[in-house]
Amino acid sequence: MPVVRLTRRPPQPADATPETRLVEFSFDGRTLLGIEGEPLAASLLVAGQRILSRSFRFHRPRGLMCSTGQCGWCECEVDGVPSVRTCRVPLAPGMVVRGEHAVPSVGRDVLGLLDFGARLVPPTFYHHRFLHPRRLRKAYLDVIRWFGGRGALRWHGDRRPTTRPAREASCDVLVVGCGPGGVAAARAAAEAGARVIALEADPGWARAAPPSTEVRVLADTTALGIYDGVCAAVDADGTWEIRADQIIVATGSYDRVPSVPGADRPGVMAARLVARLVERDAILPGRRAVLIGSGPDLDLAGTILRSAGASTSGPHATHQLRRVSGRGGVRGVELLRDGASVTERAHLVVFGDRVPALEMLLQAGAEMEWRGDHPAPIVDDDGRTSLAGFFAVGGAAGRSGDLAAAGRAGKAAADAARSRPSAAVATTWSRGEPHLHGPVTNRVPGDAIVCFCEDVRAREIAAELDAGYGQPELLKRRTGALTGPCQGKYCLAAVACAAGVAGDWVPPTARPPLRPVRLAELAGAHPLAERPTST
Amino acid sequence: MTRPQVAELLRPAAAPKSAEVVIIGGGITGLALARELVASGIRDIVILERGYPGSGATGRNVARIRAMQLTESLSRIALRCQTKYDRMGDDLGFNVLFYRLGYAWVLYEDAEVERMRPIVDMHHGLGIRSRLLPPEATLRRLPILRGGDPVAGSVIHDDAIVHHDAVVWAHLEHLAGRGPRFLGGTSAVGVVRGDAGVLAVETTAGLIETRNVVNATDGWSSEINALAGVRTPNRPYRREVLVTAPIRRSIDAAITFYLPVEGWFNQTLRGEIVMGVVDPDEPTGINQASSFAFLRRTAAVMTRKAPALGNVTVIRQWGGMYDVSPDHLPLVGPTRQLEGWWQANGWSGRGMLLAPYLSELLAGRIAGRAAHPDLGAFDPDRFGVEQVVTGQDRDYYARYVQPH
Repeated sequence: MPVVRLTRRPPQPADATPETRLVEFSFDGRTLLGIEGEPLAASLLVAGQRILSRSFRFHRPRGLMCSTGQCGWCECEVDGVPSVRTCRVPLAPGMVVRGEHAVPSVGRDVLGLLDFGARLVPPTFYHHRFLHPRRLRKAYLDVIRWFGGRGALRWHGDRRPTTRPAREASCDVLVVGCGPGGVAAARAAAEAGARVIALEADPGWARAAPPSTEVRVLADTTALGIYDGVCAAVDADGTWEIRADQIIVATGSYDRVPSVPGADRPGVMAARLVARLVERDAILPGRRAVLIGSGPDLDLAGTILRSAGASTSGPHATHQLRRVSGRGGVRGVELLRDGASVTERAHLVVFGDRVPALEMLLQAGAEMEWRGDHPAPIVDDDGRTSLAGFFAVGGAAGRSGDLAAAGRAGKAAADAARSRPSAAVATTWSRGEPHLHGPVTNRVPGDAIVCFCEDVRAREIAAELDAGYGQPELLKRRTGALTGPCQGKYCLAAVACAAGVAGDWVPPTARPPLRPVRLAELAGAHPLAERPTST
Repeated sequence: MTRPQVAELLRPAAAPKSAEVVIIGGGITGLALARELVASGIRDIVILERGYPGSGATGRNVARIRAMQLTESLSRIALRCQTKYDRMGDDLGFNVLFYRLGYAWVLYEDAEVERMRPIVDMHHGLGIRSRLLPPEATLRRLPILRGGDPVAGSVIHDDAIVHHDAVVWAHLEHLAGRGPRFLGGTSAVGVVRGDAGVLAVETTAGLIETRNVVNATDGWSSEINALAGVRTPNRPYRREVLVTAPIRRSIDAAITFYLPVEGWFNQTLRGEIVMGVVDPDEPTGINQASSFAFLRRTAAVMTRKAPALGNVTVIRQWGGMYDVSPDHLPLVGPTRQLEGWWQANGWSGRGMLLAPYLSELLAGRIAGRAAHPDLGAFDPDRFGVEQVVTGQDRDYYARYVQPH
């Protein structure tokens, strides 16, 4: 396998030191070794498990791709809990990990053959089928039902989570996200005299980089959405309802997976992820890498890869990438160079493009514009969106790294909060319709998957447009695009491209919650885990 | 293939100058009624829809097609409605995914069990083979409830679900090219009345002269009735739904419970679990917004009733409306308040189930045939003129089993 651990290859029990303790865990019954505390997905990757999950519709192989816990491609069952994003889980001794949604295993899933018949089963495949003979109707649907589902619910006896009430908080300025932009905005707002609360979902991040002592930081806390008068959030102890006069959205950005056939193959990775894997976890995910796109992440990933001994090609412009080949993992790429198509062998495709994490602003209804190949919120110099009370900074505003703008937004939000007529914190925010101002000129090849959760290809979007279902809500219902667990985070831009939006477009309603959340978490109890008592 | 004709049907257009029948509301009621009118020979139909086809309660409900009901009259009609759905695939040449998932009322109090005994006997009299199960048998049939609040029993029947969106598309494909026109993104903004009744409907796409208007807007029906100066007692209540990421087949029935609060959950064919717990104090009013209180309430109740559900992942929530009438039965038929004004609303949460069959009967009346006896209970004029729904009985059973 091209994936190697840089420090120890392969890991040996003798390597264990107080800092790096080698522990045993299991995947689909096989005992594997990993370093305690590293991301479980990284342990699996270095143990040779490039394929971590299978896509819902066509059982396409998926592996570690993003760096943010959002794409869901690394979901496995962990200790009896279904569909856990293994990139977010630190490896613990004795973990029992299972692949989901595959026969017999995610590595060799015979249902992957479905993908070869993908043209025969568009999302509308059942409309005129499975009616005859009548006596088999139930059986047909039983079969469809058998194909459904991903993880399994395992029974838990009488362990009943206790329910805790939501905690409440209020502030002048709420900053959602403690990346560099969020920190700069929170600090500026606090310096301007505002009472500031800042949320950070990424475990450990906010504790490592507190914005300032004046800011109340809710660490490991995930914002779930803007509801009537409150921003809802969840942490390990249950839910929060936060009232704020002004909200600064600093939710960062998602990785923009290239819209080409094969872009979901294991081995296509975001530049940020590659940098983290090599630097933090000392794992080289491939010896021969092709760099796609541009930006500081990509430059950094290229430098790090080369210093770790990998060879890199590129960076190539995103539009030069035509196809990624390989099935269980990347084998090569097809590039457009000087008008001709050339192929290159590679184990790794590293892409650097990002799109703003828009869902909170979409839900609130801020106006968007088309920027390059993705939507971004329309903001003024101080980060004000079209909605009163809402600011956007950093990657969420398409201004990654512009800390001066983030600081101005913090100050402007504090000023706006101070100028409110009453002492009480506002209980309602303005709402709008999130118009996306086009035109969208990017084109997507028909074979490219634009919605990864539902395996919707660009040509299926085009077919629905032809059939008269181009209204965005109808398009969503007909194809399933935007309705999967990522709820559009990884596909809105590509779906809009495939739909060839000519002018103004109102994307399908962005519905809460903004992040997948377990019922037990909402009830204020930890997800039920089934840890083995002995191995 | 008829599909290109749907593009024609849905293409934005100006309102025609006149129509024989104008249907306000492009959900299941309006679409099913248009289909039945066409079958009765009336083809000059305009459907007005403020959003897109099925954008109201039709696209927001979970399409449980349940024959067993709490009263004999409703069960008898629901059985015919279920048969109508069972045949819909043949009738429209489109698979609406009618699937006998099973249905269970889960009972938590002994008094509920006693209440159910005569109801199950009533079902058997109608040919509905429901069964009253004791606690152990309930847990064997529905292992998802293991470890949860102790159950007192359940009533289980072989009832069905359909795919609500597929029902909409089946109707659109059927209507395309058969005469009716569908004006999406078009609202009714006024009604012109004459001495002899309705004369025209003013829409955002122009004035349409017509002598027959059907109010098929459910949650918006009192607003639309007010445009025509017609008063009805039904009022909208928000209901909310959440859906989880798909899991393997785990729950073999659509489950509903009424105590201590009304709640429900079931698995779709794809494996997602849809669920909700009702707020007994939900105020009336047009409201389709999502609330965080709903998420928390549903999580708290469901993890008590079915602890294994603690591990399912919520990916989306939404709201829709029930148009609730005083007796929780719909208003279907003409009204003495205005000649040519027809009601097909107040479905009280059963529009998906009842609308296709009752639209067939309503179309017969609009086409001039005598009223079918099954419409008897749904006369829009059965309420007092001043009557208005202001709250619902917290005892779910009391809404249906009226004191004699």
